[in-house]
Order: sequence, then structure tokens, then C-alpha cells
Amino acid sequence: MSQTAAGDVAIRIEGARKVYRSFLGKEKEAVRDVSITVARGTIHGVLGPNGAGKTTTLKMLLGLVRPSAGRFEIMGADARVLSSRRHVGFLPEQPYFPVHLTAMQAMRFYGALTGVPADTLDEEAATLLARVGLADAARVELRKFSRGMLQRLGIAQALLGSPSVVVLDEPASGLDPIGQRDVRNLMLDLRANGTTVLLSSHQLSEVEAVCDRVTIINRGVVAAEDHIDRLLNVEGKTSVRARGIEALPDAVAAIADDVAFSGSVWAFSVPDESVRAVVDAIDDAGGVVLAVQPKRESLEDYFARLLASASEEVA
Amino acid sequence: MRSVLTVSKAVFFDSIRRRILLAVLVFAGVMVALIPSLPDYRLGVEKAVFGEIALAVTFVASLVVTLGLSVTRVPSEVERRTVYAVLARPVARWQYLVGTWLGTFAMVGVLVGAFAAVDVAVGAAVYGTLLWKLMIGALGIWLEMGVVAAFGIAVSTVVSPVTATVAEAAFLFVGHSKATLVGEEGALALKAFYPSLDAFNVVAPVTHGNGVPPLYLASMVVVFVGFVGVLLVIGAALFGGRDL
Repeated sequence: MSQTAAGDVAIRIEGARKVYRSFLGKEKEAVRDVSITVARGTIHGVLGPNGAGKTTTLKMLLGLVRPSAGRFEIMGADARVLSSRRHVGFLPEQPYFPVHLTAMQAMRFYGALTGVPADTLDEEAATLLARVGLADAARVELRKFSRGMLQRLGIAQALLGSPSVVVLDEPASGLDPIGQRDVRNLMLDLRANGTTVLLSSHQLSEVEAVCDRVTIINRGVVAAEDHIDRLLNVEGKTSVRARGIEALPDAVAAIADDVAFSGSVWAFSVPDESVRAVVDAIDDAGGVVLAVQPKRESLEDYFARLLASASEEVA
Repeated sequence: MRSVLTVSKAVFFDSIRRRILLAVLVFAGVMVALIPSLPDYRLGVEKAVFGEIALAVTFVASLVVTLGLSVTRVPSEVERRTVYAVLARPVARWQYLVGTWLGTFAMVGVLVGAFAAVDVAVGAAVYGTLLWKLMIGALGIWLEMGVVAAFGIAVSTVVSPVTATVAEAAFLFVGHSKATLVGEEGALALKAFYPSLDAFNVVAPVTHGNGVPPLYLASMVVVFVGFVGVLLVIGAALFGGRDL
């Protein structure tokens, strides 16, 4: 759990719970107990498999779904209070907009609802459209927009009014690789300017690349929550990459794990205390050490392992 | 207030783009133009009968449009999730509903105004006099459509458009059946609470009589405000409790 001081908190979700009741009174618990604390000026990732409760949690925060229990705060204010949403920009998953509007008209509409002053609205809308690469499409009707263009527009409308907090639900969905890179850079820009980003995503590489902390939700509860480095770094192990040798020296081969050889480059991990000896052994064998760094699990592997262990516990 | 007006403006311009409106307008215009050619006109009451049928056509055409707009708007916005980008902002659900109603009411007002203009124009062309009292009848229709729209919007926050249409038809039936359902003498206690829409029916005085006194018009507006207010409060309560 995060130890962020109260004044530094942008989003606080405590004990979120959501139970849906059918017409016949049958209950389904979509979110059991989720607590997330997001520090100001950071990018916080929310991960989880389909149906884990990520989107429901975000919707409860934004007032789109009524929580069964829990406390929700945005920039220190109760999220149920309407004025707290002045600080928030939201990109829904697969956003849809009235298709008869042009991009500029849509931005004017959402800008007016956000409370952007009328005299600066056009300028701000044009700037944001340019920022997401839609400057040339400002006067094009949305019915002619591709999926990726709608996604870009969704991001632009979420940034209207310069929100302190931006909640992005699958922002890279429907975007090509260039678009995905642009979104990553945009999130990093927002963070650099002090904006807090709460990111829900299935794209683990995206989360790993930009997030400071992540919360992993599974079956309606928080399965893990920490700084991304602490989650992924493997305690006591160091990764080594080397080239210029046909085979690993015997002394290295004896202690190396996860050995891989590709494109004349060896990659393996060794215990921290053996790093000096390993570097010397490679050097003695005529090889070149390319990199020595703390061993880091990929988020994908961590995520898969976490979910697998959760399934085993249930079984 | 800015949020309400912004939503209403968006609803108005979205509605006015729908081709079905133009089709209804043209169809109703043609119907009104054909009224004088009906064969069983009685001598001496041609203008009154024309006015009566013209207002009936206006009522039916306005009802079709009002039904179509009011029961589909909220469900389609929720279904297509366009409502997320609106309600995640500092916009209360009641503001969204009131804006939706206001935009629909304005749209129907334009339509009823256009129908009434056609009625008066055809009347002037055929009979050589301006049947301006038809405008008062049209005002009654517009106000009633405002109530119908409020009912449709309120109900459609929690049920499908088809169910809302059926409910709206029932509402209209009940609203115009006070004498039939509670009678003139029986069930007197109920009569005070009966949701009657007859207050807006001024067809007889504007076509066969001397029009409607200003005091009655004022009271009609009071009834309209009361109906719409209650329905929108109920709609806001229903919509406020709904998960999106």
C-alpha cells in the first residue's frame, strides 16, 4: 500500500465495492474490495484480466456507477460532489461521439460542459486537436473518422480544461504503432507538466513503459500494488549481456540462469554476489560485456504468474 | 445552467438533422392541403371543420415526432456510451435530462410552429381569412407534447424504447380518458389527482367557439409546468439511481 501523504494524493479509492442485483434479486459482486492511492504528478496503471473490475472501479470514481461501498476522492474532494469532476478528464474505453458533429464541434460541446470559458474554447480545442494529430480533420464529420481518429479525439476531449487528473481507459486501443507511441509520449508530457494519469490498460508494454506504480486487480480485489521497479525487479539476481564468445566460460555456465543466445549476444542472469567474477571470466575468455543490470521480470511474466497463483489458490 | 443549455442545443441540432422530421413535416403539409377537398363538408362550417382536422393532423404528426425523439434519446446515448463523456464531467444527471427535454421540446416547438403556419397558410389560401386562432390550438398541442416528451424521457431512463413507447401510449390514453375512467360522479376523491391532459385540448373553442381567454392560457401553462416538473423530477430520480 502506498504511503503517500494526504496532500500529495490526487486520487484515493478506499474499500470500493460494487454488487449488481438482478431483477430477481440475484447478486453479482463485480468489485469486492479495491483500494488505490494515486500520488499527484504520477502515472498509475491499473491492470487486470477481463472482468476483474477495473472499469467498474473507474466508473465508480467518476460517478457513472453507484458504489455499494467505499470512499472516492479526487484532489482531496469527495468524488460524489459534482465540482470534483472539474479536475478530471476521462477517456472511456472505445469512445463514441455524436457522429453528425465535426471534431471541432464535438470539442466545443465537451469544452462547454467542462466549463472552459467561451472566449478561449476555440483556441484550446484547436490546440488539443493539433496535439493529438487531428488538426487537419477539425472540420470533418465524425462519421468519417476511423477508429484510431476517434480514439485520438477521445484523448483530446479528455484534456479540455487542463484537468489535474486524467483517467484513461485503454487509450492505445485501436491505434497503430505510431499512434500508440504518441499516446505514450503524451502521457509522459502530462506527467512532466504535473498532471496525474490513471491508466487502465491491457497493453502491458505500455504500462511498463510509462507507469510509476501499478495496481493489479483480479476477481474484484487488489492482487498486487507497488512501484513498477519493485514489482518487477528480481531480488538477488543480475542480468548480464555479453558477446564475442562462442560459449559461456565453465565458471559462468555453472551459475547462470535463463541463458539465451541470439544474434551473437549471450543473455543470462547470475547471483548478485557473483557479478564481479562473471565479468572477469568473460573478459578473460575474450568476450565483451554489453550490459549488467538488476534482473527484471517482464510485466507480462509477472502478470501471468500472479494470475496463475491466484487461480491455484482458488482451486 | 450552461450545462443544461449546452445539452439542449446539442439535442436540438441533432434532432433537426433527422430526415424523419422532414418526411413527417411534408406528409402533414400535404394532408392539411388536401383537407378542403374532403367531400362531406357541411355548408357554413367549412372553416371550423378545416381547423379541427388541421389541428388533428398537427397533433398526430407532432405526437409521432415527440414519441420518436423522447423515448430513443437517452437509451441510445447510454447504449452507444456517448453519455459517458458527458456525465464524467461536472454535469449532473438531472441537468442532462432537463437539457434533453428542453432540446426535444424546442425541436417539437419548431415542428408544431411549422405545422400551424401551414394550417394558417392553407386556410388563408382556401377561405381568404387568417385562421389565427389555430395558433392557440397549436400552442396547446405543443405544451401537451412537452408533457409527453417529459414522460417519455423519464420512463426511457430505465426501460427500453419499445416499453417506453407502450407506456407513453398508455399515459396518453389515461390522460385523455378522465371522464371515461373516473366518471363525472363516481370516484370523486380520485378526480383531484387524476393526471388529465384534457387541459391542453382547446380544439373546440378555437375552431367552433370564440377562442380561449388569456386566464385559461395562463392556467394551461401552470398545468404544463407542474406536469413537466413532476415528470422530470421522477425521471432524474430514476436515472440518478441507474448504473451506466
